[in-house]
Amino acid sequence: MLQKPRNRGRPNTQAERERDWGRGAAEEAPSTSRGAGGSQEARGTSSQGGRRAEASPEVGPRSQQQLELKVAELVQFLLIKDQKKIPIKRTDILKHVIGDYKDIFPDLLKLAAERLEYVFGYKLVELEPKSNTYILINTLEPVEEDAEVRGDQGTPTTGLLMIVLGLIFMKGNTIKETEVWDFLRRLGVYPTKKHLVFGDPKKLITEEFVRQRYLEYRRIPHTDPVDYEFQWGPRTNLETSKMKVLKFVAKVHNQDPKDWPAQYCEALADEEARARPETGGPTPSS
Amino acid sequence: MEEGRAERRRRTEAPSCTQGGARRAGIMTDVHRRFLQLLMTHGVLEERGVRRLQKHCYRVHGRTAAVEELEDFINNINSVLESLYIEIKKGATEDDGRPVYALVNLATTPVSKMASDFAENELDLFRKALELIIDSETGFASSTNILNLVDQLKGKKMRKKEAEQVLQKFVQNKWLIEKEGEFTLHSRAILEMEQYIRETYPDAVKTCNICHGLLIQGQSCETCGIRMHLPCVAKYFRSAPEPRCPHCNDYWPHEIPEVFNPDKEREAGTSKANKKPSRSRQH
Repeated sequence: MLQKPRNRGRPNTQAERERDWGRGAAEEAPSTSRGAGGSQEARGTSSQGGRRAEASPEVGPRSQQQLELKVAELVQFLLIKDQKKIPIKRTDILKHVIGDYKDIFPDLLKLAAERLEYVFGYKLVELEPKSNTYILINTLEPVEEDAEVRGDQGTPTTGLLMIVLGLIFMKGNTIKETEVWDFLRRLGVYPTKKHLVFGDPKKLITEEFVRQRYLEYRRIPHTDPVDYEFQWGPRTNLETSKMKVLKFVAKVHNQDPKDWPAQYCEALADEEARARPETGGPTPSS
Repeated sequence: MEEGRAERRRRTEAPSCTQGGARRAGIMTDVHRRFLQLLMTHGVLEERGVRRLQKHCYRVHGRTAAVEELEDFINNINSVLESLYIEIKKGATEDDGRPVYALVNLATTPVSKMASDFAENELDLFRKALELIIDSETGFASSTNILNLVDQLKGKKMRKKEAEQVLQKFVQNKWLIEKEGEFTLHSRAILEMEQYIRETYPDAVKTCNICHGLLIQGQSCETCGIRMHLPCVAKYFRSAPEPRCPHCNDYWPHEIPEVFNPDKEREAGTSKANKKPSRSRQH
């Protein structure tokens, strides 16, 4: 009964339904590129009055609604991708969302970025200049009580990340992997042992945090046995600051940030550099 | 469930944005943004939780004095979300009529939220379960029937044991509800996918005679076959001495459930688990 193809000019055959189904923000061609004609009326028999608009970009000037729809798809795509904390590649954006609208990509991205910031409070930022990858930064300060009203658990791994970031900064912005484990062992976290909260700590620190661009993980040449070093990744500099991390470390030790004069000076200098007006912004380089 | 529906219909059918952005949309402040950010961490949230979330956001931004009425607060945000083709949609659980809210997509295919969390074969398993649920008389599909379709799945081959775990994943992520080895749609799935379901299965879909919304679980008249959601039955027959079918006037043969009362529940301190231990399959 459900398999009977229906031809009403809408994708309702089995094959089309399956194709529609599998199509997600991260999958095939965007919905505005399918279907016939840029119809603008509300479709279907839905008494909910839901608006299901489609647009075709092939011929002629694009309507205001088609553009709006494209920006909406882009916003949703960015939100979903950022949830995984993996930087979003421009090539993925072009492939999965922009499609035929490539000629106006910079405008679409700019509009999407504006909406993201105005509506959700997320700023679209390029990870590093000319990297063509983006992340979302929260313009709202997270508050402890947020945890009580969240639907997810946040990330329990954030604690471990903060510790590693603290270690790196306090040791002069770079630290050897062996030193990291020497410290973490004292907290009951081992590279080779499964951890109740963190699962596989080695994988988390050397792979996950690196993939999310919180850490840089580089091999130190000419070391035997092979050793690696950690530094802050580009996302860390965008999401937090030396002063914030120093304050975290101080809190953990129940001391004052000024008790580490060298690091405190460095953090202050960093604050001053940040306070200077930004040159340019997260505008996409086309 | 009927309240607000007429307004919503009017609002979503209003003409889309005019040139020059002269839209009479609401204003977003950090209170609204935090609310949206945190609401997005829930797939679906009960009204009680939504109110708590609203109060939290006002508190964080130091504005505890004038907490706006929830419906106005949400309508305000929705007027801003309109241009992004998303909406904070209000619905109700089908079993006991609890009001629930979810941030749903109005434009792109509804499974995009699922698509980022599940593999191709897992999505196909959900689709198969969805079809069985919609086709069923009771709104429930048995685990056995779903698992028997495992060989027909697209993508990587999935064994039945694995499929069982995937079904549990759907339950954990609030796409399906499980009761005694059978599965039905979670209110989250209904809110997110109602439009998609109506458009894709127009012949198989069942609707409620009272609210005209999509119906998965409910009661039906044994004479004329019309169906009603349990909470719609509760409201319609509230304090009716002799319940009769609104369509054919025959005696309504099923037990009339109680209207959901949030205050009563709070007082009694009952949890949802304690209410209605048996499933109301009254078809």
